Amino acid sequence: MGIAMSLPAMIVLFLFTLGPAIYAFFLSFFSWSLLNKMQYVGLSNFGFIFTSPLFWTAVFNTASFALVVVPTQTLVALGIAVLLNQNLPARGFLRLAFFFPAVSSSAVISIIFMWIYNKFGLLNGALGVLGIPGPNWLANPFFALKAIMMMNIWTTSGYFMVVFLAGLQAIPQEIHDAAWVDGAGSWYRFTRITVPLLKPTTFFVAIMGVIGTMQMFDQAFIISGGTGGPLNSTTTLVLLIYQYIFSYGQVGYGAAVTVILFVFTMAVTLGVNKWLGKPIEY
Amino acid sequence: MLYLLVLFCGALVMFIPFAWSLSTSLKPLSQSLAYPPVWIPRVFDWSNYVKIWQIVPLARWFLNSGIAATGVTLCNLVFDSMAGYALARLQFRGKQFLFIGVLAMLMVPFQAVMLPVYILLRYLGLLDNYFGLIIPLAVQAVGVFLMRQAFLNLPADLESAARIDGAGSFRTFWQLSVPLVAPSLLTLGLISFMLSWNNFLLPLLVANREHLWTVPLGIVMFQQEYFVNWPYLMAAAVMTTIPVAVIFLIFQKWFVRGIATTGMN
Repeated sequence: MGIAMSLPAMIVLFLFTLGPAIYAFFLSFFSWSLLNKMQYVGLSNFGFIFTSPLFWTAVFNTASFALVVVPTQTLVALGIAVLLNQNLPARGFLRLAFFFPAVSSSAVISIIFMWIYNKFGLLNGALGVLGIPGPNWLANPFFALKAIMMMNIWTTSGYFMVVFLAGLQAIPQEIHDAAWVDGAGSWYRFTRITVPLLKPTTFFVAIMGVIGTMQMFDQAFIISGGTGGPLNSTTTLVLLIYQYIFSYGQVGYGAAVTVILFVFTMAVTLGVNKWLGKPIEY
Repeated sequence: MLYLLVLFCGALVMFIPFAWSLSTSLKPLSQSLAYPPVWIPRVFDWSNYVKIWQIVPLARWFLNSGIAATGVTLCNLVFDSMAGYALARLQFRGKQFLFIGVLAMLMVPFQAVMLPVYILLRYLGLLDNYFGLIIPLAVQAVGVFLMRQAFLNLPADLESAARIDGAGSFRTFWQLSVPLVAPSLLTLGLISFMLSWNNFLLPLLVANREHLWTVPLGIVMFQQEYFVNWPYLMAAAVMTTIPVAVIFLIFQKWFVRGIATTGMN
């Protein structure tokens, strides 16, 4: 009975999650365009990938995206959550306002931001008021990825804020009260009580952030029209995988990048999981 | 007081892009391109909201999004809760192994396996039909995990009593336990619906033909392949956001609960 009840779920999960991961590993040893006959090529797909400048550009873009977005969104989310965790008027409204972007469609948000980042758009209009000439954000290789970073932080901070709020509510109030009685100021309580006790939540937010940013696709695809431009400045690893299938017809290269991304994601997850796995004592 | 000021400024930043899309959607094309930007349109021009339905098959895209999201939601409610129940309450060989499998699959993001999934969908003949938009999302590891937690939290005595009265395990599950975890089902339903409704990558892989596009894919294709008419696009953006906003406002408590219990989207 137990097997029968879990079978449909397990089949679908295996077919679309773990199975594909194994299949990608298999495909990475073949040369194939989806239309011709598969040909075994050993490790040469990996050889090609590791010597391809485009791959390293994608690695660089993805890594810098993660390195900027994850710490920023974690800090912003923590900051908002701590402020919101107090007795404030309009708390519910504020929480809604911060959280809403996280449940909106990435496609719609990307389109709205393309309009805001337009050379003659809202952002440059605002900068113009301050006397700063704004760049053509999305057409400039130096600014395009940074523009996507800002958008991403704007979208996901509210989501992680909710995670932090749940973590904050798990900290017993008596600890704060005791510290307050002992004369600890609010900054002292924040750095000596809140931050250490929130460590599991923070790790969790960081790991989810790393996984999420390493898979960034929608925004880069939509904003660059699928090209990763200008000058490959928005080519991420997942966008590169997409291009290897649909633009270059090189399934093997795409599979090799999939394996690399997969192994790296797993390594980060398991690594931090092990770290996170330690229980925390109040 | 200072805190409140900071928070309200932050909330304003969150609100501006949506407000700007609303503002643009109410302007004629010529006025939308005014620089420096103007917030309040001189005349409120509602015609963009009418014309967009005629220029692109927006109604069809809404229908497609609705069908896909409904299918995904129903599948997740049924399959995730069945598996969650089996993992929480039933004894069978390989249970521990399956549970570890579910945990491992929690960590596999869809984007990462896009290439093999696409090839698989092609093999299975799932490209260019609704099943392709539903089946890959029909079960979520997070959902199985969430439902397992929900069933674990029910008192075990209750079910033993039902069993003694002669109810089989499926009947116990269906008639006794499922109604008791209704709150978790609501959370799961919301998570699944949003996952499908907002999804961009899966329709991009599956739906090559325009009549199968969903709203997010349709709007992006409209923007990239036709022409850049921002008021039209913003009108479409506003109309796509409104149903999400309504659902969100009604069920906000459950969204928050979903994140608090699973920590994941």
